[in-house]
Amino acid sequence: MAEKNDILEKQISTEYKFGWTSDIEMDSAPKGLSEEIVRFISKKKNEPEWMLDFRLKAYRHWLQLEEPHYWAHLNYPKINYQDIIYYAAPKQKKELASLDEVDPELLKTFEKLGISLEEQKRLSGVQSTIAVDAVIDSVSVKTTFKEVLAEKGIIFCSFSEAVQEHPELVKKYMGSVVPYTDNYFSALNSAVFTDGSFCYIPKGVRCPMELSTYFRINTAGTGQFERTLIVADEGAYVSYLEGCTAPQRDENQLHAAVVEIVTHKNAEVKYSTVQNWYPGDKNGKGGIYNFVTKRGICLEENSKISWTQVETGSAITWKYPSVILKGDNSVGEFYSVAVTNNHQQADTGTKMIHLGKNTRSTIVSKGISAGFSNNSYRGLVRVAKGAKNARNFSQCDSLLMGDKCGAHTFPYIEIKDKTAVVEHEATTSKIGEDQIFYCNQRGIDNEKAIGLIVNGYCKEVLNQLPMEFAVEAQKLLAVSLEGSVG
Amino acid sequence: MNVIEKIPPTEKLVAEFQKVKGSLIGFSALREKAISEFERLGIPNRKNEEWKYSDASALFKNELQVGKLGSMNVQKKDIEKFLIPNLNASVVVLVNGIYSEEQSALKNIPKGVVVSSFAKAITEKSEIVSTHFSKYANITGDAFVALNTAFATDGVFISIPDNTIVETPVHIINIISTQEPSLLQPRFLFIIGNNSELKIVESFDAINSNTKNVCNSVAEISIGKKSKVQYYKLQNDCSGVHLISSVNVHQQKDSHFDTNTVTLNGDWVRNNLNIVPDAEHCETHLNGLFITRGNQHVDNHTLVDHRKPNCESNQLYKGILDGKSVGVFNGKIFVRRDAQKTNAYQSSKNILLSDDATINTKPQLEIYADDVKCSHGSTTGQLNEEAMFYLRSRGLGEESAKNLLLFAYAGDVIEKIQIESLKIYLEELVNQRLKK
Repeated sequence: MAEKNDILEKQISTEYKFGWTSDIEMDSAPKGLSEEIVRFISKKKNEPEWMLDFRLKAYRHWLQLEEPHYWAHLNYPKINYQDIIYYAAPKQKKELASLDEVDPELLKTFEKLGISLEEQKRLSGVQSTIAVDAVIDSVSVKTTFKEVLAEKGIIFCSFSEAVQEHPELVKKYMGSVVPYTDNYFSALNSAVFTDGSFCYIPKGVRCPMELSTYFRINTAGTGQFERTLIVADEGAYVSYLEGCTAPQRDENQLHAAVVEIVTHKNAEVKYSTVQNWYPGDKNGKGGIYNFVTKRGICLEENSKISWTQVETGSAITWKYPSVILKGDNSVGEFYSVAVTNNHQQADTGTKMIHLGKNTRSTIVSKGISAGFSNNSYRGLVRVAKGAKNARNFSQCDSLLMGDKCGAHTFPYIEIKDKTAVVEHEATTSKIGEDQIFYCNQRGIDNEKAIGLIVNGYCKEVLNQLPMEFAVEAQKLLAVSLEGSVG
Repeated sequence: MNVIEKIPPTEKLVAEFQKVKGSLIGFSALREKAISEFERLGIPNRKNEEWKYSDASALFKNELQVGKLGSMNVQKKDIEKFLIPNLNASVVVLVNGIYSEEQSALKNIPKGVVVSSFAKAITEKSEIVSTHFSKYANITGDAFVALNTAFATDGVFISIPDNTIVETPVHIINIISTQEPSLLQPRFLFIIGNNSELKIVESFDAINSNTKNVCNSVAEISIGKKSKVQYYKLQNDCSGVHLISSVNVHQQKDSHFDTNTVTLNGDWVRNNLNIVPDAEHCETHLNGLFITRGNQHVDNHTLVDHRKPNCESNQLYKGILDGKSVGVFNGKIFVRRDAQKTNAYQSSKNILLSDDATINTKPQLEIYADDVKCSHGSTTGQLNEEAMFYLRSRGLGEESAKNLLLFAYAGDVIEKIQIESLKIYLEELVNQRLKK
């Protein structure tokens, strides 16, 4: 047993491979948070008065709140909010006519991220590629394929651009799903968010390509606060991808994002995340504190919101992508794989709020813990009074690798309607020795066998990811857990 | 208008303690510690994660009498109606938390076994009491255990030596009968030696009581090696009463603990079960059934803290909710790093019969060992339509078909009761209740 654990320990200690920094010239605000900083950000972004109002209201509300420490199964020191830079932007802020003008360091960054913008450009004639909005240190630096999408009437741009060019849409939807009063981190985000992506799919349009945002924290000491807003009008469909990485640093960096999704009648939004923020080193030093509020609302009947997430990074993950099923017959889905290793802590899950009639939700969560990590599923299923015939099925499985980690399940089920049918089940297990033995017997070594078994275990979730992401996610899982012996 | 400023209940209770502490026998340092812990915590409200669905502070809004709880004029015939037919048990009667020698009748008590009032045990068995008292019910973090510990004066003390089987069940009848709304705080301490057995039936029974009494009981049970304890809790004849009960069990090697909590009445009920299988090869079975209606609020809270390897625990809780009642199930399985090869199961099933009933469940797993089999499941739904149709096609009316199905559903829990006469009695009670 002891020997086996040694092998395991050795093999799960793989280094973070996105740990580089880019020497892009940055334009940043001084450290600290105050009303001046909020005004400074707003001014920098040349925002209209109503936007500043929203920020200030959020900031004042935030001041009255206390950092929530009491319920999540997480352990971290109090965050010093005065020690964070709230605004850092790559210096070249002017509109770029062509890619040649882009800072070559920036281009390199993207190449390293595996999204060569140039290549994307060249391939623009080809169908079904991915339109990318890249966000570095909370400022959107480049959005590809804007023109192609515009032909269809799809708006896909940075949040700041949307504030300038589509204020009526932003005004109408921003804060409608996640109000600034929602929680501590959403209030903070509403006050200081710097950028993010905005996406609007008009009536009856099926977005021809995957839309994607890449987030990267670059500058030391910064926090990243971005905001994403996706609106799918009647009958629209969009599949949206999100990827995140950060450099390797000794200190903890804060990421507090807000994502809002609104679907109208018959619309569908599919939101996939591969989160790979820097998780800290083997001893738990450094890493990103990931406090994210993600919520969608099925505003009208027959609409659908589906969240898929693969969470492998961050020192601390605090994230509950939720769906409010307001329209009748609406559908919410949540598929999640969360992997924690070394000293990572994750407290993640979902909330499904059934309000309309005949609403359905599915939750599939797969947690994998290794090293000294703690991995918790925390989910809420609420059926309000009058939400006739609501149906929910939840399954939460945990896999433990080694005997120093923890796997936890905290479901909350609140039912106020007798016609509701709600099922929840959870299991905890480890990789069976017989499974490994079977693979060994077939000539598959331990390392590959683990990869195989873990991928099989997560298949239900990985199958939900778009092709390009599924491949990446599978690789990521393999890297995170190479050769763990159960 | 002249509003008299109300003293917050927590402060009032602390002040009350300061007033009476001189008359409380023994454990003065511990009582001081307990009361200051209670003061620190306060009466829990919804902000406390463990009390998220049950706001206990609402129970203390009314003025409650503490301390002057003399034995009311309770007659033998009052007690007779609470006896369980054919159980032939040793009967221990507590009136408002005070042990009543004259009403109690012990039977077939083997040599060496002590069944007595807790008050008597504090003075006469001070050595054994102080070894075990407040060792299993932790005052830290639990306001009601702290409050009970501070005031604990009477209740029931049972001690069983090694190699002794107490065949006759002990039926503890908690009579609640007061003039004014009161806070009752019985305390139970059961010490079971090695290789011994004990069966306990505890019931809560109110006699023309007004509706605002709060009964905050704390039980501590220490189970020796290879011993078996069955503990049945019956909350039926206690309409109008607010019950907060905490049962804390410590299990030694190869021991068994089986419990069954059946709640049919009681306005506001919170049952805490904290089980610590603290050695290898322990077995623990927790079962519960609650059938609620009207404005009842029933909350079952379980915690099984697996600390050592090779133990097994099973939980089955079922609820049938009608009217505007609220049901809560909050179960936690905790598996510590050393508790390899643990098998732990937990299941919570609920049926809502009315549009106004609510069920909140929170089945939790907190696991730190990898070689374990742990799972939980929770379902909420209605009666199977096909089953209903089948029965109706056989000529059963809708009402009786429904009752039959509900009875079968509840039967899963009742079936686990190992005392035949008690099982029959409860089946009858449940049957009657479902017909109403």
